[in-house]
Amino acid sequence: MGFDTREANMNRLQNHLLLTIVMLLLWSCSEKQDFSQYDDLSVTPTLEASIFFVKVQESLINRVVDISFFTQDFNFDAFEEAFFSERVLEGVITYELENTTDKPIEIEIEFLDADDSLLDVELFAMPAAPTATLIREVAYGTTGKSLDILRNTTKIRLNASNFGDNISTSGIPNASIVLQSSAQFMLRLK
Amino acid sequence: MRIRFYVSLFIVLIAALLSGQNKQVLYDFTEIPQSLLLNPGAETDFQWFAGFPFLSGVSGFAGTNGITVNDIFADDGLDINDKVRDRMIAGLTSKDQFSQGLQIDLFNGGYRSAYSGLFYSFGAYLEMDNILYWPQDYAFLAFEGNADQLNRRFDLGDLKTRGSVVAVYHFGINKKINRKLTAGIRGKAYSGITDYNATNNNGYLVNTQGQNNSIATTLSADMQLRSSGFGALNSAENQGTLPSAFVKRALFGGDLGLGIDLGFTYRLNERTAVTGSVLDLGFIYHSGNVYKYNLNGNATVEGIEVNVLRELANLNRDFWQELVDEVEELVPFETTNSAYVTFRPTQLNASIRHDFGRLIGSDKDCDCNIVRAQYNSTKYRNEVGAQLFAINRPRGPQVALTGFYLRRFGRFMAVKGTYTVDKFSRTNIGLGINFQAGPVNFYAMGANLLSYQNIAASNYASFQLGLNIISWAGKR
Repeated sequence: MGFDTREANMNRLQNHLLLTIVMLLLWSCSEKQDFSQYDDLSVTPTLEASIFFVKVQESLINRVVDISFFTQDFNFDAFEEAFFSERVLEGVITYELENTTDKPIEIEIEFLDADDSLLDVELFAMPAAPTATLIREVAYGTTGKSLDILRNTTKIRLNASNFGDNISTSGIPNASIVLQSSAQFMLRLK
Repeated sequence: MRIRFYVSLFIVLIAALLSGQNKQVLYDFTEIPQSLLLNPGAETDFQWFAGFPFLSGVSGFAGTNGITVNDIFADDGLDINDKVRDRMIAGLTSKDQFSQGLQIDLFNGGYRSAYSGLFYSFGAYLEMDNILYWPQDYAFLAFEGNADQLNRRFDLGDLKTRGSVVAVYHFGINKKINRKLTAGIRGKAYSGITDYNATNNNGYLVNTQGQNNSIATTLSADMQLRSSGFGALNSAENQGTLPSAFVKRALFGGDLGLGIDLGFTYRLNERTAVTGSVLDLGFIYHSGNVYKYNLNGNATVEGIEVNVLRELANLNRDFWQELVDEVEELVPFETTNSAYVTFRPTQLNASIRHDFGRLIGSDKDCDCNIVRAQYNSTKYRNEVGAQLFAINRPRGPQVALTGFYLRRFGRFMAVKGTYTVDKFSRTNIGLGINFQAGPVNFYAMGANLLSYQNIAASNYASFQLGLNIISWAGKR
């Protein structure tokens, strides 16, 4: 093979290579993308935690002669925190009330705003033990009560009433009234 | 279509987050002076070279091994929320990463000492690198929350990220020790401009059955995010002096560090050689404008707890505030400003290559009767071989294996093709081309070229290009 032929082949090969590279660059492309979809992205986690726990022993109830044996206001700023109040979409508060005392009782939970105005009330009535645990789920948002109740709540008032006597004692050890509560709330982060 | 390409490329390069780039096409491409930055012990035959300022070496890459831009933003009529949930929240793990890097030569040059035969090279470059591992449990918490996840521990260690902008000043020595061995060393001085890292986080968040209340929420955290330089640049931006502040920190006015590169080429025989290099064995001491954010401690809460009999004498307390204070005391969030040290992401390169075909400059299949200058390296028309690349990452070394073929077309042009298998792709085909027109040297390279058909669907894209003036002083 002569030098000229080799040179010609070399040039041809170089041209092909260059053409390949150019074609490759021209083919560089992208399928249609729609970055405006980001606006439709919805980030709405549902967070769960306990809210409050109250335990009142039967021995304490027996010390009080009035029907209302316990009334207490608790400061509760969680719901009015901007992170929560501005983002909450809906939620459920679950109450679990257990009565192992020998007395029928009534528990009233009042939601109060900063001016002590009553926003909402949850009322629980339970017969004397033995009785099953009372479980109540209270929804807020589109399918439940107004979220504004929670957004404006700064204080929770707990009223407990004894509709039994002040002497009897339950046969269940450590007899008491126990109120548990937890919440699941959906928040909009985006 | 072209605009979408550029937008996608921009997103891939910028929106993704980074670290050191595997430059498999450039490695041991000895026609190109910048190959010395990948192996200070590469065989060189230049008398001197001078890179065009800011153009002698520009390289960048972006990689996402678990997902692509196209997976989320393709105009496919699917709901983006479904795509994010299926492909990110459920599809990615904490081992998946988003990484991105950019390196720009500020200046680069080299010359061979007529007296000692040593080849000296020097320069400075700006390097940005970021890497973010997919924060799997954080993402689940953000999108789904912790409801109905009793006993699931959300791993706070899923937050692993690191990034920096560094100006690197370097000076290297390359010596052909004998006919078989060429070795080199490069010293580096780092001038850190910005840095952030959160790579040693531990802890968890979990809901369990409560002792008193229905749910107990436990936070156990040992977390730290360290940063340097951002405050100074933010202040400068507010004062309208950002460029000068940036330049000042790039000129040793910020964080300082030292490092070295080591490398060698050893010819097993006339046509077979092994090479190896270790890059960025070094550290940076971050001492100015440092912010360390710490969250450390353990706390378990079950909401406000009132045991009336126990609290009877003290019921008029602010139970809510006490709960908040208790958590803040048990798991304090603190900011400190003490100095810290980071180690550079050390990289390892190794290769074996076999040369075949005619010697460059000869029509014969041997180098007989070819008189070469003392420091010229022997170059054949063809090279074939394999390369190994490894880099130290926050979740351990990351490895890439490359097979390559290099073809020289006289002294005018050389082309190198690569096939690489790594975490990002099994179809990574790279191509590099080097032109030598008289003293002017130009090279351009790209990896994962098959993905260029739809860059938005690419898991990995990289490029390198540069422009130099090279002199062999008539010895070629």
